[in-house]
Amino acid sequence: MMLRKRIITVLTLNDGTLFRTKLFTPDYRYTLKFVDAWSVDEIAILDVTRGDTCDRKKFFGAVAEFAQTCFVPISVGGGIRKLEDVGRYMKAGADKVIVNTGALENPQMISDIANAYGAQCVVLSIDAQKRDGGYEVMSHFGATATGRDPAEWAKQAEALGAGEILITAIERDGALQGYDLELSRKVAEAVSIPVQVLGGCGNWQHMTQAFDIPGVSAACTQNIYHFTEQSIASAKKYLAAKGVPVRV
Amino acid sequence: MIGIIDYGLGNLRSVLGAVEKLGHQGSISANPSTLELADKLILPGVGAFGDGMRNLAERGLIDPLSELVRQKRVPILGICLGFQLLAERSEEFGDHAGLGWIPGSVRRIQPSDTALRVPHVGWNDFERTRDCILFDDVPDPALFYFVHSYHLETAPEITVGICTYGAPMCAAVQSGNVFGTQFHPEKSQQHGLKVLQNFLERA
Repeated sequence: MMLRKRIITVLTLNDGTLFRTKLFTPDYRYTLKFVDAWSVDEIAILDVTRGDTCDRKKFFGAVAEFAQTCFVPISVGGGIRKLEDVGRYMKAGADKVIVNTGALENPQMISDIANAYGAQCVVLSIDAQKRDGGYEVMSHFGATATGRDPAEWAKQAEALGAGEILITAIERDGALQGYDLELSRKVAEAVSIPVQVLGGCGNWQHMTQAFDIPGVSAACTQNIYHFTEQSIASAKKYLAAKGVPVRV
Repeated sequence: MIGIIDYGLGNLRSVLGAVEKLGHQGSISANPSTLELADKLILPGVGAFGDGMRNLAERGLIDPLSELVRQKRVPILGICLGFQLLAERSEEFGDHAGLGWIPGSVRRIQPSDTALRVPHVGWNDFERTRDCILFDDVPDPALFYFVHSYHLETAPEITVGICTYGAPMCAAVQSGNVFGTQFHPEKSQQHGLKVLQNFLERA
């Protein structure tokens, strides 16, 4: 009787169209129908349409259509800059929202959303770049250096009311070489809220490595299902055999 | 018709999607005269307790809903925050009065094991403690999706099932026509849909 470790599928949409990324560069050849919505524990959908002024109409349309037939939790993000933005994401079918650049520009937004929707509704996404002797938080799709340390920022976000942290190792994106375990550990140790890790998952063993870190409650993958014939069900079978508590 | 109560905070679309998937007609509404026509009511939930109660009050829903639930005995299912709002009080961001349709108060989850993180997020085992039609034809235990930082402390007489996160927590209640689940049935795959179907067809 215990809480299961989660496998989260991350979907990135540009102007309403799904694509996968490698080193944050897009490749469009996939549809939302690829998603094995029965085995996955949770789904994250991110709008990566560039430009703060875009109306995201196609994005919300795609999310709403997907949410209608998806009976697992959905977190949605991309472009949230203020509390008033959150309503649209929730209306489209989000159960939680993911904030990143908007929270870096205005950390108080984390508290505003947590106060209105509950802490469990706010996932702080951190994109981290490896630097000599450490890591640096990047904003604006990994393009802008912020001078912040990921573990420190995670800690601050927790104090402001974030419910979960999603930590992404930028240079692992699409590389399939495994999660950045050092980064994951640093962030997980800094906070007492659940941590999701993203970037670099290439096989099921990478997931067990991540789950060995205390506080890592979810392994996120974006590319692995598209690259191979392997399904989430087989990932779970592997993890269960290794003693990781998962929902099979 | 299933009345899905719109108080500006719930994941309404997810709940409506599940109701429709099960072949029932649902209506998302904040209008008491529409909700009055419903055979059953669902009070969904994603949000903070204080805002939830304030929004219900601002929409003039508390008295009409109380009449439907307490006098007319219309079956109602509270989900997550909607489940917690059924109670008398909550200590989330201050001290707030709830709907008071079931006894009990809502308190922060404080696991004695510091390795257990709050919020309690993910799939956890639900174990039944009393018979309830919501869980007919659902395995025991069954996995459901939870996401919450607060939990309901209530009487064992109305608790129909628990989950364990450090300590046992009330995860579902029934008190006459008032039903509630801390987990999200609309987000818990086939077992969750079965719970919703049981509410829609057997409550």
